[in-house]
Amino acid sequence: MRVVIADDEVLLRDGLDRLLTEAGFDVVGKAGTARELHREVELASPDVAIIDIKMPPTHTDEGLVAAQEIHASHPGVGVLVLSHFLESHYAMRLIEQHPGGAGYLLKERVSGVGVLADALVRVHEGECVIDPTIVSRLLGRARPASALAQLTERERQVLALMAEGRSNKGICEQLFLGPKTVEGHVTHIFTKLGVGESADDHRRVLAVLSYLRSAPQQQA
Amino acid sequence: MARALRLAVLVAGLALGVFSLALARRGAGNSLGGGSAFAGAAELAAGYALLGVGFAALMRPRQARLGAILVAASLAWFLLEWNNPAAGSAFVFTIGLVLYAAAAPLVAHAMLAYPGGRVAWWPGRLGLALSYAGSVLVLGLLAAAVFNRASEGCAQCPRNLLLVGGGSGGAYGSLNRAGIYLGLTWSLLVILLAAGDLVRATPARRRLAAPVVLAGCVYLGLVAADFAHSLYRGYLGNDVLDRRLWLGEAAALCALSLTVIWAWVRAWRTRSALAGLVIELAESPPPGGLRDVLAGVLHDPSLQLAYPLADGRLADGRYRAVELAGEVTPIVRGGQRVALLSHRPGLLAEPALAEEVAAAARLALENERLQAEAWSQLEDLRASRARIVGSGDAERRRLVRDLHDGAQQRLVTLSLALRLARARLGPGLDPALAGRLDEAEDELRAALADLRELAQGIFPVILAEEGLSAAIEALAETGPAPLEITALPGERLGSSAEAAAYFVVSEAVRQAAASTLKVSVARYGTRLMVEVEGDGAPAEIVGVQDRVGALDGSVTVVRGPGGRATIRAEIPCES
Repeated sequence: MRVVIADDEVLLRDGLDRLLTEAGFDVVGKAGTARELHREVELASPDVAIIDIKMPPTHTDEGLVAAQEIHASHPGVGVLVLSHFLESHYAMRLIEQHPGGAGYLLKERVSGVGVLADALVRVHEGECVIDPTIVSRLLGRARPASALAQLTERERQVLALMAEGRSNKGICEQLFLGPKTVEGHVTHIFTKLGVGESADDHRRVLAVLSYLRSAPQQQA
Repeated sequence: MARALRLAVLVAGLALGVFSLALARRGAGNSLGGGSAFAGAAELAAGYALLGVGFAALMRPRQARLGAILVAASLAWFLLEWNNPAAGSAFVFTIGLVLYAAAAPLVAHAMLAYPGGRVAWWPGRLGLALSYAGSVLVLGLLAAAVFNRASEGCAQCPRNLLLVGGGSGGAYGSLNRAGIYLGLTWSLLVILLAAGDLVRATPARRRLAAPVVLAGCVYLGLVAADFAHSLYRGYLGNDVLDRRLWLGEAAALCALSLTVIWAWVRAWRTRSALAGLVIELAESPPPGGLRDVLAGVLHDPSLQLAYPLADGRLADGRYRAVELAGEVTPIVRGGQRVALLSHRPGLLAEPALAEEVAAAARLALENERLQAEAWSQLEDLRASRARIVGSGDAERRRLVRDLHDGAQQRLVTLSLALRLARARLGPGLDPALAGRLDEAEDELRAALADLRELAQGIFPVILAEEGLSAAIEALAETGPAPLEITALPGERLGSSAEAAAYFVVSEAVRQAAASTLKVSVARYGTRLMVEVEGDGAPAEIVGVQDRVGALDGSVTVVRGPGGRATIRAEIPCES
């Protein structure tokens, strides 16, 4: 898989390069700014771009803006945004602006090559990837009595994996369950939460995240 | 002058008019006003107009001198007819000989002395001296002294009581000629002086005096024309052109009288308004209300009131900085400018009026000025508080950015280096070393999590970058208590207003019990309303109050039934 890395921190960029190369990825370009990133995407035609959320000049949300622009100019290129921020707001913004093939991971995931590689593969396949820490924070947040309480432990696990952006097939693999079982859980979850089920994985992630973020109160 | 004396002057003046007209009609051929009923009416109208205005001025303490001059001018206007051979009396005829040309210098005097009655400017005095010398001395007294009815061919003339010796025809002619030259000179000179005096006057006095001076100059222009017309002839006569010019003079004098009356009417209207001011102020207007009261009683909606502050700025009664435009009248008390009034041109043209405003509104003015002073200091203090909070926030943001870009980035790089080193060591790793490395990685992860929390607590990046609504939603994901968010603004607001609103909510969340908090943030015009309702009031809201107070907002805690309490903050925000 051809990967481009955009991060203004040279040490990290090079380290990531070595790590990914050793893990069998093909690092075809490196960039320190959004402008360089665009050039690399143009020239090296990568499968996935790994983008730091903060880049020069303002060090705010250049990474998200660059992801959106890449989606517009090269829809086939997946983006994996690395961020210091746990806020689901940024993750939502990314996958709303970049439907399909977008991932939002905490930056410290770079040291876990397994998580990183898994995310890259999934983004390449067009899935969404949301950092598990963000999902567990959303699931664990203090909220008024809600329909979430009616879910079984297994259903909560399935819900978390859906929120992380996994497809039914991915959930089967993670939980060692059969496809029929997972489909049954998914249907149950949507019924219990009162959310319309969506066949499209991308829409499903947005629906689940929106539900978890808005935390509606249980119907009396 | 005693009242009776003034009344006697009025009656005498009225009688003089009738007597003079009768005389003119008797000797119509040698008169100006005796030729026709129209001319007679004009003569009486001009003379009585001056007399009436002069009498009214006599009754006013500040204008008694002007009144005396005007009354004298009106009498002189009638005396013009007395040097008529048909006078019938030596006494009347002689007075006519001396004073027949005295009206013009007296009118010039009144014009230059308007409105008070004194001519303070020395060139003006010089011009007037010249005019009296020319018309009363040369044309009048001196010429009378040498007028011999026999040598002038006026057998039917009454006797000249002032004749010195035998008289001299040549001297009489020369004096007349000299007086006419002098008359042409002084009348034109006085017109120039009056115009010059207007130019150097204050705008208020100029506006007050201009109509009177205009009418006076028209009159003097006609007088000058008659002098010019008489140059060749050598004496002031009553031919067709003389009569026409004289009719114009009569009209100009009527106009002059009307302009004096008009100035009184204007002043009277303003003054009766001021009487209303005293009554209005008895009910002591609210701060800033004095302007409205003044604008109302002076009938000038454009009126502005400003107070000079100690540092030289101007503030209005509602403590806002003002710029005054148009005509500005200072209100002075004890040598100090307590206030400035800008108003419609001419409103306070009489200098005394500004003093009367100051007297009537003294307490209210002083009160508003002191309040404006105090409020401007408070405003400075508030601005300084807002700056302190603002620079504190900027410092916090910088600190957070440094944490993210510096320490956090380095820790991430370090964890990556650790992972790479571990990979380099290969799969056959000593389990003890592997355990140590795992521990180090765990520590690093914990350090990163701590750092993130620290940065979040200092100043949430999401607040600075994505705004208040995103920051409050993020608060709902991390806070110990469930948040029920009922309203959030859809747009970005000023950074200090956003920060203040955020800290109101975050402080309430930090101190909340585990029960649900209801949060609503909504913008109404230039106010941002933040409400957080929960079980029990937070113990500590001073910090939040300071922050909101620095923006001129307010934080209140409203206790409801069943131990519920609502923190309500109102924060000004720019659009």
